[in-house]
Amino acid sequence: MANSVVELTDDKGNLIGARGMESAMSYQDLNAMINLWGNDQKLQLEKDKLAVRKYFLDHVNQNTVFFHSLQERLDYLVENEYYEKEILDQYSFEFITKLNDLAYSKKFRFEAFMGAYKFYTGYALKTFDGARYLERFEDRVVMVALTLAEGHEDRAIHLVEEIISGRFQPATPTFLNCGKKQRGEFVSCFLLRIEDNMESIARGINSALQLSKRGGGVALSLTNIREYGAPIKKIEGQSSGIIPVMKLLEDSFSYANQLGARQGAGAVYLNAHHPDIMRFLDTKRENADEKIRIKTLSIGVVVPDITMHLAKDNEDMYLFSPYDVERVYGIPFSDISVTEKYHEMVDDPRIRKSKIKARELFEKIAELQFESGYPYVMYEDTVNRENPIQGRINMSNLCSEILQVNTPTTYNADLSYNHIGKDISCNLGSLNIAATMDGPDFGMTIETSIRALTAVSDQSDIESVRSISDGNHKSHAIGLGQMNLHGYLAREKIHYGSEEGLDFTNIYFYTVNYHAIAASNKIAIERKSTFDNFENSKYASGEYFDKYVNQTWVPATPKVKELFDKSGIHIPTQEDWKRLKESVMKHGIYNQNLQAVPPTGSISYINNSTSSIHPIASRIEVRKEGKLGRVYYPAPFLNEETWEYYEDAYEVGPEKIIDTYAVATQHVDQGLSLTLFFKDTATTRDVNRSQIYAWRKGIKTIYYIRIRQAALEGTEVENCVSCML
Amino acid sequence: MEKTKLITRPINWNKIEDAVDLDVWNRLTQNFWLPEKVPLSNDVQSWGTLRPHEQKLTMHVFTGLTMLDTIQGTVGAMSLMPDARTQHEEAVITNIAFMESVHAKSYSSVFSTLCSTNEIDEAFRWSEDNPYLQKKAEIILSYYNGDDPLKRKVASTLLESFLFYSGFYLPMYWSSRAKLTNTADLIRLIIRDEAIHGYYIGYKFQLGYNEASTERKADLKGYTYDLLLELYENEVKYTADLYDEIGLTHDVKQFLHYNGNKALMNLGFDPLFPKDDCDVSPAILSALSPSSDENHDFFSGSGSSYVIGKHESTKDEDWDF
Repeated sequence: MANSVVELTDDKGNLIGARGMESAMSYQDLNAMINLWGNDQKLQLEKDKLAVRKYFLDHVNQNTVFFHSLQERLDYLVENEYYEKEILDQYSFEFITKLNDLAYSKKFRFEAFMGAYKFYTGYALKTFDGARYLERFEDRVVMVALTLAEGHEDRAIHLVEEIISGRFQPATPTFLNCGKKQRGEFVSCFLLRIEDNMESIARGINSALQLSKRGGGVALSLTNIREYGAPIKKIEGQSSGIIPVMKLLEDSFSYANQLGARQGAGAVYLNAHHPDIMRFLDTKRENADEKIRIKTLSIGVVVPDITMHLAKDNEDMYLFSPYDVERVYGIPFSDISVTEKYHEMVDDPRIRKSKIKARELFEKIAELQFESGYPYVMYEDTVNRENPIQGRINMSNLCSEILQVNTPTTYNADLSYNHIGKDISCNLGSLNIAATMDGPDFGMTIETSIRALTAVSDQSDIESVRSISDGNHKSHAIGLGQMNLHGYLAREKIHYGSEEGLDFTNIYFYTVNYHAIAASNKIAIERKSTFDNFENSKYASGEYFDKYVNQTWVPATPKVKELFDKSGIHIPTQEDWKRLKESVMKHGIYNQNLQAVPPTGSISYINNSTSSIHPIASRIEVRKEGKLGRVYYPAPFLNEETWEYYEDAYEVGPEKIIDTYAVATQHVDQGLSLTLFFKDTATTRDVNRSQIYAWRKGIKTIYYIRIRQAALEGTEVENCVSCML
Repeated sequence: MEKTKLITRPINWNKIEDAVDLDVWNRLTQNFWLPEKVPLSNDVQSWGTLRPHEQKLTMHVFTGLTMLDTIQGTVGAMSLMPDARTQHEEAVITNIAFMESVHAKSYSSVFSTLCSTNEIDEAFRWSEDNPYLQKKAEIILSYYNGDDPLKRKVASTLLESFLFYSGFYLPMYWSSRAKLTNTADLIRLIIRDEAIHGYYIGYKFQLGYNEASTERKADLKGYTYDLLLELYENEVKYTADLYDEIGLTHDVKQFLHYNGNKALMNLGFDPLFPKDDCDVSPAILSALSPSSDENHDFFSGSGSSYVIGKHESTKDEDWDF
């Protein structure tokens, strides 16, 4: 290697640095420099822009297949089975050319290296040998729009506008797979019940394999499975409980992955009153025995209100055998409200039970959250009180934002279906709050998004898991999410969780909810069709709209009023809601579920957003992913002026996060992934207190708990931005 | 020897003579981990994408690290025990010794997950035959066996803060290239520990050093720089032997300088290598950061961020609703 001096220049050709060593700085190095203070003790954010440029020059451009014309490109991709011909055949070539020109006319540029790197490693179509790129960002957007517009030219144009401007971003499986001939499913997320019999357990494992092969995250409810030591065929002490089932599931998930694109991922939920609850939690212990230790399977606990009340009174809590409960009540344990039946079950001698201290359960949960970040928590009764759909919600999903009703499936002796119940799938997409506020037509952005997500639901048919495909055909459930809340607030110089921050969040989600329901209502009118069992929902009775027609919702602070005025966004009035209520009661809505706020990992980087509606984890985020190694991501709009508005999640603290989520929750029919962040000075008691506070504020689910440990003074890396607390 | 403890006293953690002991104890116990925590098997695919000579290099590097941790766990940390200034220091040292053994075992976990028995045997044979690695062990062991307690601490600090890093470089390098990222997590946990060990032993050295006479100070200082240079000379050869083939020797050397200075800093001495020679690649430097600020999702590994929590029961007022 030659020893030469390398000059670095910016876009305008100005010399901004030079370095004499064997090789020029790689894009990895340039990107990593944003995590180190410059010699002038200032942030080196411009280095990230250089990293993007370098990445394109050194890597992307050199590895992209060149075509002379769009026609040549599409022909090649169809002939070689990269693109799906049927998608393109829905449109004239002239239209596709026009759409393509539209996309390229927007001059899209990746703002952060992370976004570009993530897009090209994770999303862009590659040659089958994986060596060269066949798509740029614009090409991907066009293919997604063509797929989801289902032949409607106007919708395709709307979609290109919304996606390329960053306002609407479909979730990873949709954005990744649309239009590709060799692909996984568009749907990201599945929830399955398991019943208390071997047929159902085996079917659950089979379904887990099938679904993770197709790229989904799968959550399973274990609440109905009989506990350790329960009788089998009336012979006592036979059952080995839920742990071996968890082991089988964990191995299934690591075996199946989406064409190697990403590892299968799964979660299991268990009711707090299941007798195996302590064993379930102990699988996540740092020093757990290999035989019972669960490493990659996520766990969640379903907590009914009664558990909170028992803990409040510092009482024992009884755990009930699902086997006996099902025999006594004739329905599975998960379909019973433990809060409602608690005292009845305690007094019923036919149900065998054991007891633990309620507070000890919460302490144990908190201890494990320190060690492993798990379990997730779902407040069962809050969820069901807020559920507008007839039926019971007894579990959530891998990211704890999907909350839908389900029903059991039964099997014949030859393992065929006796009765196909309803399991849950949900396809997601998120709005970039900052871009949406800047957009020309708020209602249109949401309508386009709802239509796109509905198209995903319509096009999905998971044949291998009938309870999922049946459930999807009946419910057309979708989940519109949000991201970049903190980015928007920081840009507008509002502190996260402040009075103005909460006010904005409230009015924003309020307005989104109006347009989401209106869009779904519009689709129902066009198609003359609603989701199954609409007539027994709180939408049909009108009850759902009470809080909107009986109460005015307006900005409480001048600043937020000004923001909406500035963006020209009309805030729906009581009158608007009355009209919408009438129309919904008359025509219905097409989608059983409309909103769910996911954690948004990868897509928020591509979209240059902060994740979900969380505060940022760090001004310069250090991100590790299997495919990427370590990459550094600066918060969007970060500069000296916004710096102080970018307090990170640990500084913001759990209370303000909960407050923010609480105001959003009241306008979201499903859930919101809520991670809580603690400094390492926190104790299990602090975690418990936050859980109690969250429950009181009407939070539906809690996702991860994250603990930040500061480097011991004297051991930190010199000049490291992310080390600075 | 400054210590004449003839009667046995039970250790009283309610009476702390040196607050640093308690700090470090808390930190170390909070950081406790076992290799089983890290889903190393997620790296099996990635391991397959390394070329044969890269695999071999990786194994040699890890065998070298195993060797150092073996010394540190069985001889090094224990040799510091008789010179402990407080009983709490003794307790901390037992923790250090134990964690060094955990580290040594971790490399075996990496091996058993990624490689075949033949390959493992070859790597261990290599460690016995490699002159520079043997020399390194020999130098350190001779100082551990010496009779000057402060010099033992110098040797120990140089081992913890300097000698490990020619090996640590490689997993950090791989992870910055998106290879073996879970293994890198495990190594980062080790680095997190070693950073504290080096800091602590260096701190204890400084306490003794500050009490010493001017002549002894001069002697200790001279000794430290001599030993560092002796180790450095050998380390450069070791580095070239390992890294020449993939062309990283220059970068690793920069990294050695950086950490050599860091070791001196831990001992309270001025840096030896000029700043310009410590031009570590930013990707490596950032990857080293021991604080647990890393973000990862459920599709990836477990990360190196979680800690054992401090238990505190809730009180009635917490449940006031």
